[in-house]
Amino acid sequence: MSSPCALLTWTLLTLLGLGATREDFTPCGPIVPRREWGALPSRCEQRLDLPVRYVVVSHTAAIPCDTPTSCMRQVQNVQHYHMRTRGWCDVAYNFLIGEDGLVYEGRGWDTQGAHSGPTWNSKSIGISFMGNYMDRAPPQRALRAAQSLLACGVARGTLRTNYEVKGHRDVRDTDSPGDRLYDIIRTWPHYRY
Amino acid sequence: MRKAKLWGLLGMLFVSELQAAAGQAEEKKILTEGETLNYHCVYTRKHSQSQKAWQRVMDGGKAETLAFTEKTSKNSQELGGRYFLEDNTTQGAVHVRMTNVQVSDSGLYRCVIYPILSNPEVLESLRLVVTKGPSASTSRDKNPPRDKAQTPTFPPATKAPVTQPPPKSTAGVSRPGLEVNPTNVTDVTRISVFSIVIPVACALVTKSLVLTVLFAVTQKSFGS
Repeated sequence: MSSPCALLTWTLLTLLGLGATREDFTPCGPIVPRREWGALPSRCEQRLDLPVRYVVVSHTAAIPCDTPTSCMRQVQNVQHYHMRTRGWCDVAYNFLIGEDGLVYEGRGWDTQGAHSGPTWNSKSIGISFMGNYMDRAPPQRALRAAQSLLACGVARGTLRTNYEVKGHRDVRDTDSPGDRLYDIIRTWPHYRY
Repeated sequence: MRKAKLWGLLGMLFVSELQAAAGQAEEKKILTEGETLNYHCVYTRKHSQSQKAWQRVMDGGKAETLAFTEKTSKNSQELGGRYFLEDNTTQGAVHVRMTNVQVSDSGLYRCVIYPILSNPEVLESLRLVVTKGPSASTSRDKNPPRDKAQTPTFPPATKAPVTQPPPKSTAGVSRPGLEVNPTNVTDVTRISVFSIVIPVACALVTKSLVLTVLFAVTQKSFGS
């Protein structure tokens, strides 16, 4: 077998083999990247051990936003509050969900968040709905965005296939994610009390 | 030369299959003999006031309790033992510590709620693999460096120093199963090998069949 042909075959088969790891070829839904929403650079260094078993759902308990423009501003506000006032290395959450139906990249899949205490943080992805959901529920498009994000995590191999969803109040002494949102996530198939 | 390439490809497939097996129910840790296991089992607030236990699950499903936390101190008491538990109710986590792990310690462990029911409430399961040589982990979770950073917090924070003879009755704590006889060890090893080897082998066979055909076809069309 001639060398170039052997090389070509080898390359083809290598690509097929690499495709089995799935990471690069996953059709994940759109996530607004940090640069796009004008994030301050992260100073965080603690990585997450992947795949992660737990997802902690919280709310920001701040004002909601329902357009891409206002949500971009709101994510900046949240990050600013966390970094400047709370003194954290970055916005606390791994991802944020806006009522515009978009997912905003926080610390992302690889970096530990600061939402649920040191141990839970090291074993979970924290997603936060932007708004206060004690007396009202997030719109369907926001809930869809969150579900799509979690499905993406599984597809990428960063979430275990049998991942467990917890409410923020399940792991911390807090009202978060709000009564209405908490009632909703308890109906999710991956929720485990 | 062709044969070497084919073997190389199959080897690479094997690795990718191992990575794909990341959707298991249990966590996994690989340590070298003599090292200390530091593991955290998390739990939700409904279990804040519950006691927790650390068990080893034998083949056949029978579980042996190695340590459990006391009601008041939230730590375990085990005189001269190797298993220590520290329950941090604020963080919602039990810190499990197993000192000087040996190859015979390899197996399945779990954190459960104590007292243990007939249908135990399992918090987390851990597959521990102890190797003789330097830890050569192929899995993505490289934990040992992380734990060494966490270890310093444990000894000073322990409320009940383990050298103190406990006046409380720790009668419920079973003796550490250090005297595991050799047949049990090989059985555990054999079963854990099978639970990994068989699914991986099945997927491998399917994939390699497809690729061998592809290989043969391309080889034919290029006219070696």
